[in-house]
Amino acid sequence: MRYLSRGFTKIMSIQRQDSGNTGMAELKKRKYGASERISIFDDEFMPHIDSMYNFAYRLTFEEDDAKDLVQETYLKAYRFIDSFQKGTNAKAWLFRILKNSFINNFRKKSKQPAKVDYQEVENYYNSDDIDHSITTDLRIESVQHMIGDEVSNALNSLAVDFRTVIILCDLEGFTYEEMAKILDIPIGTVRSRLHRARNLLRDKLKKYAKTMGY
Amino acid sequence: MGLYKWFKRAFAGNCDECLKLLELILDGEASDEQKKSFTIHIDNCKNCYEYYNLELTIKKLLKEKIESQPVPLDLVDSIKFKVRNNL
Repeated sequence: MRYLSRGFTKIMSIQRQDSGNTGMAELKKRKYGASERISIFDDEFMPHIDSMYNFAYRLTFEEDDAKDLVQETYLKAYRFIDSFQKGTNAKAWLFRILKNSFINNFRKKSKQPAKVDYQEVENYYNSDDIDHSITTDLRIESVQHMIGDEVSNALNSLAVDFRTVIILCDLEGFTYEEMAKILDIPIGTVRSRLHRARNLLRDKLKKYAKTMGY
Repeated sequence: MGLYKWFKRAFAGNCDECLKLLELILDGEASDEQKKSFTIHIDNCKNCYEYYNLELTIKKLLKEKIESQPVPLDLVDSIKFKVRNNL
């Protein structure tokens, strides 16, 4: 028995620590067998491809770039599959890889400004926001009458960082904690960025409502 | 003093506090206590109630009206092929 190959014993070993979803930087001692890798890939990774593709499309606005980005992400995910703990939050893990791939390879190509100068301030809430015309200028009725394209355009017009948090939170339903991990920022920053993004989105919707004559 | 009265005294009419809670409520990140004090406030404050409703409507709009793009089929095939052939 002691002559079993090292590879075999590695495959047979069960990971000892329950350390959750860590980044790719820290490779685990576990090593899945080939068929196990494929089953994790097919059962846990591939089901998220719709969300991934739509996210990629909203980052790049081009079908070919979106396809490249998604493919690169999935191939990377497969390469680093050993650092993924089976049964844990695959969607967040994949989104994180995608976001990093986007920053590394695609952001330079993006037609939008690379960085938005905004301040991440904790004390950004102001009840003046609700006292002044915000609620009266943008009526709920106008918003309810909007069609998908109008909302989509409003979202697309936001700078990429703001667009991203809205997509992750409102479209994909990630929690603040998941978003913090995906974007590699503190939860406080997730919240302040969301707040700012929503203000901007509301302004865009207000403008659309006006031009549509709502 | 009962808990309800304490909340009411502390938060009713305090819009700044309410705003801080609003997005937590919207995103399902609020604790039960926070939900309670928020509800008490918007029951008594028209501005905050309308603001909250507006934000809720926008969130629903995003979720329900934005159409998702179908994934190009050749992408799925390409990925599966490459993974199985170690490319």
